[in-house]
Amino acid sequence: MIEVRDVTKNFGTTVALDSVSFSIGQGEILGFLGPNGAGKSTTMKIITSFLAPDTGAVSVAGIDVLDQPLAVRGKIGYLPENVPLYLDMNVEEYLTFVGRARGLSGGRLQERLGWCVEACGLRTEFKKPVQELSKGYRQRTGLAQALIHDPDVLILDEPTSGLDPLQILGIRDLIKSLAGQKTIIFSTHILQEVQPVTERVVVINEGKIIADGMVGELAHVAMENNRVFLAVKQDTATVETALRELPAVNAVAQIVDGEPRQDPAGTSRFEIRGPFDQDLVGSVAQLVRSKQWDLVELHEAPYSLEDTFIALTKQSQRGVA
Amino acid sequence: MQNVATIFRREFSAYFISPIAYIFIIAFLVLNSGLFMTTFFLNSAADMRAFFGNLPFFLIFFIPAVSMRLWAEDKRRGTFELLMTLPMRASEVMLGKYFAALAFYLVALAGTLPIPIMINLLGNPDGGSMVSGYIGSALLGALYMSVGIFTSGLMRDQISAIILGIMACFLLFLVGHVAVAATIDGWFPGFGSLLQQYIGLSGHYEPMLQGVLDLGDLAYFVALTVVFLALNTLWLEGRKY
Repeated sequence: MIEVRDVTKNFGTTVALDSVSFSIGQGEILGFLGPNGAGKSTTMKIITSFLAPDTGAVSVAGIDVLDQPLAVRGKIGYLPENVPLYLDMNVEEYLTFVGRARGLSGGRLQERLGWCVEACGLRTEFKKPVQELSKGYRQRTGLAQALIHDPDVLILDEPTSGLDPLQILGIRDLIKSLAGQKTIIFSTHILQEVQPVTERVVVINEGKIIADGMVGELAHVAMENNRVFLAVKQDTATVETALRELPAVNAVAQIVDGEPRQDPAGTSRFEIRGPFDQDLVGSVAQLVRSKQWDLVELHEAPYSLEDTFIALTKQSQRGVA
Repeated sequence: MQNVATIFRREFSAYFISPIAYIFIIAFLVLNSGLFMTTFFLNSAADMRAFFGNLPFFLIFFIPAVSMRLWAEDKRRGTFELLMTLPMRASEVMLGKYFAALAFYLVALAGTLPIPIMINLLGNPDGGSMVSGYIGSALLGALYMSVGIFTSGLMRDQISAIILGIMACFLLFLVGHVAVAATIDGWFPGFGSLLQQYIGLSGHYEPMLQGVLDLGDLAYFVALTVVFLALNTLWLEGRKY
């Protein structure tokens, strides 16, 4: 549905995007991640044809953005980072204006207005001047504006920024409810927001794509080792030596919660690392069984998106240096 | 055309939502009519030449004040990004905005119509020169407004936009002045007169006050207006941010 190929964009001497490529299939939701200033907004502005790339090409539904910008714009609903509102209008006037500007009229416009107001929870604010809306309602009005013409593609730049947790949940549910019907790209620098909505992410840093895939797979790319957490009631040194002898284990680190060695209950805790392609939990479990240690806890410790993200950005920075 | 109308409606109503529109119009009427009426009874001549004669200078300030918000405000509010990602040409958005601002000026200008009515009651004026005077001031406003929308596009905030607009309009006004043309001629022989003839506006505006509607003068206003509107469109399409 959306194809970004080798897009490069410079602002003066700063490189905003450096041969960025990725693609999104019909009906897919893509989380676009990256620290502030990584190039998320610039990429989105290029897809929406607000900006022209220096080199490279972008196509939406097979239509080249530079060749036929108007056709592409008609297919896209876009919520920029700074919600583009006319403060002097009320919500109804504003949405009517955007609807008209996007070629809706008459019954169709009324129908879409009604749908957007319901979907975005704007019923109570419909006649209020935009000026008087709270931040959350402004964001929702911006979202309604992006949805008014029932676009195939939604581009949402930080749709949940500055909202309270309840409002974030609302926007998240709305995005999820559109899954399957619409192709959606949403950007964020808040990682927890991604996983509830989608598995598919693209990570960008300093203008370069540093990862593209499923959230679960990202850890494999970013981290060298899988991670297992073990707690046994046993002497620390004994366990550590035994663990180190396992072929599947690369590293063993004792977790000392302030107290060195065993805690008062006699439990030693370890973080064990090993390659992703080995059954790390299995071999540790076997060891515990064969030694007949008193097992307190044994589980895989999957990396959080934060860990992955930090590792990825560090990797890419090392790459540059 | 539909697209231009949609933008026009939004922009035109935007002027009248805030009280600024009414303040503008009242200021325009009070200053213009006031200036004219103070001398009208002294001159005891049933014509509006003095009125139209003041306009080129007066509008240098009034028009950029009307046009300054056209792009600068959208850029500050972020609505610029909305407008430039609508499925319409940049030129359509631009024309909608331009015609809205021009219509606002024409409303203000229409507010001066009681003057010719009064003059008609008091004396026996030359109706033709009044009509051509109004046509001239509409064209003059259209030209200044195209300069104003262009300078508003170059700037991010309204204050810079109005200052640049005033300077640009003033330049058009100045190069049409005989004394200025003569000075420039002194430095670069022939250049001052050339500017005065083709760029300066007095030479094309003043005949209309006498009731002379010359095709060349009309073409001057229309052509220069189109040039600034085209520059504005080029800037919109070639913008780099």
